[in-house]
Amino acid sequence: MAIPAGLRDFALTGKRGLVIGAEHPLGRVAAVTLAEAGARVLLASQDAGADEALRQTAAAVAAAGQKNPPIRVQRAALRSDLSATADLTVRQLGGLDILVTALDAPFYAPFEESDDAAFDRVIEENFKSVWTASQEIGRVMLSRGGGTIVHISNVMAERGVPNATLYCAAKGAVRNLVRALALEWARRSVRVNMIECGWLDAADRAETQPGEFHERLVKYLPYKRLLKPDEIAGALLYLVSPAAGFVTGEAIAIDGGLLCRV
Amino acid sequence: MILENFSLEGKVAIITGAGRGLGRAMAIRFAACGADIVGAARTVAQLEDTAAEVRKSGRKFLVQPTDVSSSEQVNAMVAAALKEFGRVDVLVNNAGIGEDSFGKKLEEITDAEWRTGIDVNLSSQFYAARAVIPHMVARKRGKIINVASGYGLRGGKHNYMYACSKGAILQLTRSLALTYADDNIQTNCIVPGIFPHNEAMMRFFKGGKFIPIGRAGQDDDVGPLAVFLASEASNHINGELLIIDGGGLVGGIVPTGVAPTNPES
Repeated sequence: MAIPAGLRDFALTGKRGLVIGAEHPLGRVAAVTLAEAGARVLLASQDAGADEALRQTAAAVAAAGQKNPPIRVQRAALRSDLSATADLTVRQLGGLDILVTALDAPFYAPFEESDDAAFDRVIEENFKSVWTASQEIGRVMLSRGGGTIVHISNVMAERGVPNATLYCAAKGAVRNLVRALALEWARRSVRVNMIECGWLDAADRAETQPGEFHERLVKYLPYKRLLKPDEIAGALLYLVSPAAGFVTGEAIAIDGGLLCRV
Repeated sequence: MILENFSLEGKVAIITGAGRGLGRAMAIRFAACGADIVGAARTVAQLEDTAAEVRKSGRKFLVQPTDVSSSEQVNAMVAAALKEFGRVDVLVNNAGIGEDSFGKKLEEITDAEWRTGIDVNLSSQFYAARAVIPHMVARKRGKIINVASGYGLRGGKHNYMYACSKGAILQLTRSLALTYADDNIQTNCIVPGIFPHNEAMMRFFKGGKFIPIGRAGQDDDVGPLAVFLASEASNHINGELLIIDGGGLVGGIVPTGVAPTNPES
């Protein structure tokens, strides 16, 4: 379609994007959104063994206009994997302008019963991976003159939830990494922002399991329903596009107003 | 197709303070995205100037002279919009005063100055939301965009009315958002940082050199954010503060341009 004059700032024509966690429902939406807006993307996984899920994302990206998007199965917790992924993106796409991460590993357990192994795993998968990705991909952006980073997280970055102490701590760490890194790179043409999803309508999540938690939670939500993954697309595109050129260090919550509640 | 979700084709937007600054920029950008505009302000000549720009996009612009501190005039503004276009999809509460009057000492501020400021900046947003909500509830759709300021979240020396009125706008946003979530009405708040609208303000803010990103805001920066919040692309975003300030509010605990380092051992 012809892009109306007022919407040109939202287009990503000619941009090169890397989506890490592209097997995740939110990563898949991010990949398709970037492709629909005109970018070419490389799809990288959060975890090994995600081949089939990545291929499904690749098919969705192909339907959005980018034929045969390159995919890379990797572990986002491994620095060497991320470094190689950054290099591969530049080689395959000719540059790297946009990084979106959808790195998430929910963990719920009583605080006094959580062991050090749980700590290491939760911090590694929710926070260290974000830190390492920001660093390895950010270095490439700095050396190439700039870029934009969006980390997809959730509302637990802002508030506490019982039985989720470690998970909340990891998400909160991502929020403050975004603030500080945005300031550090503010004059080096790398913008860093994040998205905070509300409770998500996706498989294998605590909030979608039938039972009291699900039923009471849904009644409590301002929209009386969970967030569908594709409802993050608008905020994601706004943040990665030139339309948000004066925005850095920020988080946009997509929660129907949940964070306004007492 | 994601870009289509940002389109404002066929929508009707009321924008207060549309004669200059951010309001003017938003009106022109909305029109370029397909919206018809009801522009409210006190100064008709400035509205006419915005109207001319909007009409270049082939969109309609209703010039609606309004003192937003008067609830009667705000009610008349909404009535005029409904009479002209038959509906209101978007309300942008943007009109405000006082950002170029910081510095007046507490004991010199008169009751009238305080009340006028609160009325223009805060009461106006309440009046306009109150006037438009029944229509939006009946249609089960609507977008309200309140414009606040970074001074609504932080304080400043000799900055009373402005900081208080803008801070209250954040709370107005949250209460509207929760109350009308069931009616598919999204209320959000744009929080601009430093946007100097004239040379005196640019001097007051030292050219924006303390802003992390290295420049002050320009009116056109806000247009795309307002389009996003007015469009279907933001339908699950409600009660949110959307800060657009070049990184100012995420820092602030050290001066811009310096950073701590580890002590030498």
